[in-house]
Amino acid sequence: MPVVNELSERMRKFKNKGKDTAALRKQRVEVSIELRKAKKDEQILKRRSISFSLMEESPSLGEDKRNEIIQLSLEEIVEAVNGSNTDLQLQATQAARRMLSRHKDPPINQIIELGIIPRLVEFLTYADNAPLQFEAAWALTNIASGTSDHTKAVVEGGAIPAFISLLSSPHMHISEQSVWALGNIAGDGPLYRDALINCNVIPPLLALVSPATPVGFLRNITWTLSNLCRNKNPYPSLGAVKKLLPVLICLMEHEDKDIISDSCWAVSYLTDGCNDRIQIVVDTGILPRLVELMASPELIVMTPALRAIGNVVTGTDEQTQAAIDAGVLAVLPRLLQHGKPTIQKEAAWTLSNIAAGPCRQIQQLITCGLLPPLVELLDKGDFKAQKEAVWAVANLTTGGTVEQVVELVQSGVLRPLLNLLLAKDSKTILVILDTISNIFLAAERLGETERLCLLVEELDGLEKIEALQTHDNNMVYRAALNIIEKYFSGEENPDLQPSSRQDGLYDFSVEKQDFNF
Amino acid sequence: MELSDANLQTLTEYLKKTLDPDPAIRRPAEKFLESVEGSQNYPLLLLTLLEKSQENVIKVCASVTFKNYIKRNWRIVEDEPNKICESDRIAIKANIVPLMLSSPEQIQKQLSDAISIIGREDFPQKWPDLLTEMVNRFQSGDFHVINGVLRTAHSLFKRYRHEFKSNELWTEIKLVLDAFALPLTNLFKATIELCSTHANDASALKVLFSSLILIAKLFYSLNFQDLPEFFEDNMETWMTNFHSLLTLDNKLLQTDDEEEAGLLELLKSQICDNAALYAQKYDEEFQPYLPRFVTAIWNLLVTTGQEVKYDLLVSNAIQFLASVCERPHYKHLFEDQNTLTSICEKVIVPNMEFRAADEEAFEDNSEEYIRRDLEGSDIDTRRRAACDLVRGLCKFFEGPVTGIFSGYVNSMLQEYAKNPSVNWKHKDAAIYLVTSLASKAQTQKHGITQANELVNLTEFFVNHIQPDLKSASVNEFPVLKADGIKYIMIFRNQVPKEQLLVSIPLLINHLQAESIVVHTYAAHALERLFTMRGTNNTTLITAAELAPFVEVLLTNLFKALTLPGSSENEYIMKAIMRSFSLLQESIIPYIPSVITQLTQKLLAVSKNPSKPHFNHYMFESICLSIRITCKANPDAVGSFEEALFMVFTEILQNDVQEFIPYVFQVMSLLLEMHKNEIPSSYMALFPHLLQPVLWERTGNIPPLVRLLQAYLERGANTIASAAADKIPGLLGVFQKLIASKANDHQGFYLLNSIIEHMPPESVDQYRKQIFILLFQRLQNSKTTKFIKSFLVFINLYCIKYGALALQEIFDSIQPKMFGMVLEKIIIPEIQKVSGQVEKKICAVGITKILTECPPMMDTEYTKLWTPLLQALIGLFELPEDDTIPDEEHFIDIEDTPGYQTAFSQLAFAGKKEHDPVGQMVNNPRIHLAQSLHKLSTACPGRVPSMLSTSLNAEALQYLQGYLQAASVTLL
Repeated sequence: MPVVNELSERMRKFKNKGKDTAALRKQRVEVSIELRKAKKDEQILKRRSISFSLMEESPSLGEDKRNEIIQLSLEEIVEAVNGSNTDLQLQATQAARRMLSRHKDPPINQIIELGIIPRLVEFLTYADNAPLQFEAAWALTNIASGTSDHTKAVVEGGAIPAFISLLSSPHMHISEQSVWALGNIAGDGPLYRDALINCNVIPPLLALVSPATPVGFLRNITWTLSNLCRNKNPYPSLGAVKKLLPVLICLMEHEDKDIISDSCWAVSYLTDGCNDRIQIVVDTGILPRLVELMASPELIVMTPALRAIGNVVTGTDEQTQAAIDAGVLAVLPRLLQHGKPTIQKEAAWTLSNIAAGPCRQIQQLITCGLLPPLVELLDKGDFKAQKEAVWAVANLTTGGTVEQVVELVQSGVLRPLLNLLLAKDSKTILVILDTISNIFLAAERLGETERLCLLVEELDGLEKIEALQTHDNNMVYRAALNIIEKYFSGEENPDLQPSSRQDGLYDFSVEKQDFNF
Repeated sequence: MELSDANLQTLTEYLKKTLDPDPAIRRPAEKFLESVEGSQNYPLLLLTLLEKSQENVIKVCASVTFKNYIKRNWRIVEDEPNKICESDRIAIKANIVPLMLSSPEQIQKQLSDAISIIGREDFPQKWPDLLTEMVNRFQSGDFHVINGVLRTAHSLFKRYRHEFKSNELWTEIKLVLDAFALPLTNLFKATIELCSTHANDASALKVLFSSLILIAKLFYSLNFQDLPEFFEDNMETWMTNFHSLLTLDNKLLQTDDEEEAGLLELLKSQICDNAALYAQKYDEEFQPYLPRFVTAIWNLLVTTGQEVKYDLLVSNAIQFLASVCERPHYKHLFEDQNTLTSICEKVIVPNMEFRAADEEAFEDNSEEYIRRDLEGSDIDTRRRAACDLVRGLCKFFEGPVTGIFSGYVNSMLQEYAKNPSVNWKHKDAAIYLVTSLASKAQTQKHGITQANELVNLTEFFVNHIQPDLKSASVNEFPVLKADGIKYIMIFRNQVPKEQLLVSIPLLINHLQAESIVVHTYAAHALERLFTMRGTNNTTLITAAELAPFVEVLLTNLFKALTLPGSSENEYIMKAIMRSFSLLQESIIPYIPSVITQLTQKLLAVSKNPSKPHFNHYMFESICLSIRITCKANPDAVGSFEEALFMVFTEILQNDVQEFIPYVFQVMSLLLEMHKNEIPSSYMALFPHLLQPVLWERTGNIPPLVRLLQAYLERGANTIASAAADKIPGLLGVFQKLIASKANDHQGFYLLNSIIEHMPPESVDQYRKQIFILLFQRLQNSKTTKFIKSFLVFINLYCIKYGALALQEIFDSIQPKMFGMVLEKIIIPEIQKVSGQVEKKICAVGITKILTECPPMMDTEYTKLWTPLLQALIGLFELPEDDTIPDEEHFIDIEDTPGYQTAFSQLAFAGKKEHDPVGQMVNNPRIHLAQSLHKLSTACPGRVPSMLSTSLNAEALQYLQGYLQAASVTLL
């Protein structure tokens, strides 16, 4: 699961208010370390194997049923596969495929250890034996759906060119099977993804997309296309992206929600990166459609569309403006109040990046009525979402005008914000303390410091900040101390004057030098 | 050092000597050990001794020495030599874990600390085996060993609770989880099973429960940053067991100790924390378990006793309920009337009771009691937790909760009425309950600011609070007296004014109470009432309304300072200050006695100043006495000087550092009261004020500058005539201040006063040097603050000495200097000047340069004339430029080289704002127009032509506005 980058460098920027708002924007970077379980609503299935239950719905299953089921031992399989009897080859390949299609713990490792992969790859080229091609393709697909090592075994068996040429097979079920296998290989990571692209996988793959393509097949193609867009370090080449994008954008207009979902995921991968990459997507004019899909009642559609738009607003002010112009601010309030915490969280993250923009964008955010749902989320949302909402508020107080900060305070942000000082997360606490400092700066400009002090105290914020002076995290403790010293140190203002270091007696004398200012 | 018996013997001898009470033996031994600790094998010798020495004291001493050695030396600091040789490091890491585990507890603790210090540096990269080594010990079945491992793990992992998320940190946590989570879970299950098989073996249970506490703590650390996949998958195991441990009781684990929490309490308390962590951060995943925990924790509260040892557990448990009941989606868990009643009755009311421990604190440790009760440092107390729960419940159930409690309050009051001397605690609880129910928001300054409208506060006040305070004896039921006074204090904004007025004599009366808490509260309440604001920004309670009580108020306040335990009571002193400030001239008749008492107090506390707040209010009170009296009778200043100077002299002579800045402030105030030339008593002191030693202390600088300014205002001529030889010293102070980025503005204050007040001829010979000095600062280390002060100063100089003199002195330092300053400093930076008076000085000064400086009209400087005018118009019309260059952002915090005592400014010694051009120029815009007019009559045609060539249109428009307003035209 991608995670928001919270560089500590950011924190220093808060103090240099208004200096560099672009740097405030949070980029989503691929964090290799994740403690959490991967979430179910993400498109985590970078690999998909075909089990029996899946095949039940498949039209190509009919063929399978015709054959009687023959049980073979591993030794028999090796022997038959390596032999020259085509019937036995088919039987053995089918038997291997059956084992690999088991729901629970398919014996991928054992099959690899048999050393039959190169042979199975060879079967793929037997254009005169379609049933054998199909069984071999299926078996290899399922091997490739395992771990990275499993995929590697298939690739090293030479499967890439074989599968690519099978895309153009006259038999639809074989070409569909190849799409599937290639999807698994592409999903393994940037290395194999680029290997496929370099083997020119894209043209034959795109050629399969036509109004006549059956929906089930089109779903597979879309999924494989999305895997070709997936992964960074490096990104897929610009040339490849430019070929893929027009088709993905057409697919996004399809009526099937799975197809829409995977094409949105594809776009979300393409926008997950530097601003140049975002720009390519923005230039296609797809943002209004993405915003429309963000409002979809289907979770599997809304999630990737929201992710894609969320990525776009990490970009430049102009790119963010394009998302705003596409209407993102009208959709966000509903998403901030969504029943699912992950949606709340992503929506708040998106909002936090818009709030990191220039004050005219902040103004649009306010005008579109985002403050009440933001405050509501801060008060009652799930903790993950609350954290993002805190960032949104922090960014707003950093880049916003005094009037905008006033508006934020008037929307009742202080109570939930101060309550979150009890959060069990040092970073969130620090961001809140910095936000409070920002609000105080605004109050100072208005001569309302004293009123803000009272408000903070009334809302039990003062005692929470005081308690943080004993926090174990040094930065938290210092931030709390600063606020207390600056605003709450009682009637006697300690005017801290440092001593000078010049020593000796005060002898008033000076030597002239040349001046040039 | 070799690992030899001889060396072990030597080391033993020295270690023994470090325990000697005689410093003559101890110190050299410590020095010796320090001198050899850089040698190879030294740590290994210590480890050998702590393992093998025959004497237990040597073992323990070696282990402590070892830990301190590790603490000092293990970290490798960049650019510094490695203080422990690599082979020793390897040997230590290879041996320390088994050694720690086989050692007796006293030594185990030291080694465990050492491991965690090493771990902080080396774990995980440079100590890859540590985890496996620890986990393997779980299999040992020896709980002495297991607890050692767990304790070490806890000290290694607890930083996960407060550090920021980072790739590095999370990589480490992931590594720990992979190796540790499963074995820990298995150990948890196994330990719980052992607890039931050993249910009747007290000593076994103690060891097992110590393990469980550590396991629960580790759970907290490992789950803090995010919910790990492993723990999500195993939530059932952990939560089910935590839940059953919460409900567990075993007589064998109950302790007799009333104060110290036992193992069972510590474990349950940690489980509450764990549940609270999950409820806050992982609500989505934890939801199925939460209701069970709510029930269990609530039952726990119902069955837990009043003893102090349960305090932490109870307050943790209540806080858990308080945080859950505010959440909308758990509202239903509390909604039922029976549930609410039962929580109120069984959880809240019992925990609000005034306990024996509270009573003890009230009597014997009143300072602490006051701090907790009044200043809100009660966060961990039961009462506070109960109060938070009331407020949490009121979020959704204010009506029902108020209803339920009203019943309780009534019955408690009835109990009290039946037999007050026995049942007074019931009334205390009733008052506390009303208070916590009614207060929705509170500040120190205003007391309660939002109250529950369902509670009739005034009625309760009249019927139940006032009667107690009206009772003849101020010393009866002191706790209830304190409660009553506190009630007035915090609800002062809710109770009508006439009730407050009724209360004032009662409060004054209670200043005489013997109980420290009671008379302190009375003083504090009075002080708070006197600061309340009425309409028109005046005080709510007027001096006239207090007239009947002035004498008794002052008498009782000063008498209260003589009560045992209150001789430096800051609340009383603050009440004195506030009374003076409110009563103003009505205190004049009492001043002779008051000032005597204050100076006696001052003399007494100056022997050993220990209460900064008390001292501060005392000096404020002295200032007030002076101001109020001298306002009515300026000649009275002499009698104050007479009364105070003796004590002041003593303070200065004895160098009472805390008081010296205050003394300077009071002296400034007194000196400023003088209308005529400076008295000789002050002049005698003048040379002493220039002593460098005084100026080395930062706290002295602001008040001393102020005092010197007062000298210059009142005595410039005297200084010029009678102390001319001190002028270089005075300028030396200026030079000293100007050299510091932090103090340069103080230097300018002084310089401005010198220029404004000293007779010009007395400083003539120094003028050039002054400017050279300023130019040097400008060249070498200019800051925005410096430039602002510099601009004000040169313009003040220009006003005082004329624009031509300014130009001449600049150009005499270096040719074309004047033009350079105009072009590089004045024109681009003038916008930064802030402050009304400062801006005015600059406006008038620049006007003079524009209109009274011939070289501006007929030399190469002429090209700067219009830009300067434009800058001046900008100063009038544009918003202030408050940008500060990046590198200066943190200057006043980071450039502070170890600041000393803070300077505490006395509010009532305040200096009036001084406008040196006030008389001369009223409206600087009109003044500019008039001056330009004058200039244009002197050289007709020149001014309009300069304007039309390069002044921008907007500026021109403004200028025309000024000309119009002044009704002049330019020729």
